Amino acid sequence: MSLILIGMLSPLVYMVTASLRDVFSPASLIGIFSGNLTLANYKEVFAGGRMTLFVLNSLLVAAVVTAANIVFCLMTGYALARKRFFGSKALFYSATAILMIPQHVVIIPVFILISWLGMYNTYWALILPWLVNPLGVFLMKQYISNLPDDCEQAARIDGAGEFTILFKIVMPLCKPALAVLAVQVFLTNWNSFLYPFILTSSTELYTLPVGLAMMQGLQQMELGRLMAGSTIAALPVIIVFLFFQRQITEGITAGAVKG
Amino acid sequence: MNRINTAILVSPWLLTLGIFWVFPVVYSLGLAFTDYRIFGEATFVGLANFGRLLGDPAFLQAFSNTAFFVFGTIPLTTVIALILALLINDKIPGHKIFQAGYFIPSITSMVVIALIFSSLYARGGYLHLLGRLIGFDVPPNGYLFSTKTALSAIMIMDIWVAVGYYVLLFLAGIKGIPEEVFEAARLDGAGFWRRLYSITLPQLEPITLFVLVINTIRSFQIFVEIYVMTRGGPLGSTSTVVYFVFDEGLHKFNIGYASAAAYLLFMVILIFAIVQLKLVTHRGGSL
Repeated sequence: MSLILIGMLSPLVYMVTASLRDVFSPASLIGIFSGNLTLANYKEVFAGGRMTLFVLNSLLVAAVVTAANIVFCLMTGYALARKRFFGSKALFYSATAILMIPQHVVIIPVFILISWLGMYNTYWALILPWLVNPLGVFLMKQYISNLPDDCEQAARIDGAGEFTILFKIVMPLCKPALAVLAVQVFLTNWNSFLYPFILTSSTELYTLPVGLAMMQGLQQMELGRLMAGSTIAALPVIIVFLFFQRQITEGITAGAVKG
Repeated sequence: MNRINTAILVSPWLLTLGIFWVFPVVYSLGLAFTDYRIFGEATFVGLANFGRLLGDPAFLQAFSNTAFFVFGTIPLTTVIALILALLINDKIPGHKIFQAGYFIPSITSMVVIALIFSSLYARGGYLHLLGRLIGFDVPPNGYLFSTKTALSAIMIMDIWVAVGYYVLLFLAGIKGIPEEVFEAARLDGAGFWRRLYSITLPQLEPITLFVLVINTIRSFQIFVEIYVMTRGGPLGSTSTVVYFVFDEGLHKFNIGYASAAAYLLFMVILIFAIVQLKLVTHRGGSL
């Protein structure tokens, strides 16, 4: 078990180690211990401001998308859980069905659509398609359905409007589910490669994963610098995971056990 | 008033669903029957694209690579994940650490993983050296530059990445088994293997099928690691269907042709998913 654990983590340890060496040559098995410990690779990666831009782009897109999902999935989940209207069942099942559609079927039409809308190579292309996550709709509907609605009814009798009820009464009760949703959406967007890669073309708009893939492709990057960039992309995810382990686990197993 | 409120509440999802999911899925199906190339008009060509695909060596190679990838990785990933989940659950000290450690690769960006393994697999990289040390017949320029080893190398990496994720799902399934069942079995004198065989595994059937469905849908779509590590090379030996769709559609702008390929794969995935789901309902399990 421990051996397997070492096996699972050693590539990541390798990444960090390689990013911290000035001359890194893996030509021998002790290569990992050669060279001096240094932050030079990080300095070089950030020199010129490109890497800073990639990080900021990733942060911006992930933050906006996460915030939007919190509001929109809450709204939709609430409506689907509490209101009966024409097509409400169908709308709920649509969220589950969408999860089964492979991304590759929609990349070409989404690319064409985004071009039609004049959004190709803009922040809109990175944000707009992801404002409401189907898994989030599913999660919030399930969660709100299991909440007692006494408080909502009382507030309604007191004359509170629908949106007051939603944001003042339901939302605070939904904090655990919203935390699961937020962590999930943030990580998915932070790591996302395919869509940002297809929908943008200028370096100024690259997110971190796209920027890294391009760095490797265009100029034969020195390994140390490439690994420094990779560490910058991977470390926040691992830190978020260590802090929000329970939320992440719940988000992943919710679909499996209840779905 | 109430209706208007409800309409406002569901509108974001309704719009997203319509614009970014339903429309693309339908539009893509329409494109598959045309010769659309971005520039100029689209003409209806019937099933010509599909016929051409079945005679296109590049597509057939991509398809067989994808099938090899799917059927090569899924059994291994599933079995390894199941074994690890059973071991972790047996209340060993520090099981939380194992669970977390196994899971970390699967939440790390695939681009990052692909970059790390590119350098590990490269000539002089650790796994290259290790292979030589063990006495493998390693390709001189690294695993990714040989038609014999490139695809398998990527498959091994993908198993490594995915296992932790499925361990998590299996653990959730094991937790769902009522403790009393085990107690009763223990009182009846059932040993570890007997309990495993008669209780744990049958109880895990629904989650196992869920794992298979999810993994099938995912694995058929392999793209990112191919793009970063090999761009389908050497000599198309790691080209996959989604890589083919990307290359034809968004590089060469043969939109109609690429859409047909995308839909063909979609149908294959759908058939697999439906068969697997049918198996669940037939056995009386529920998802």
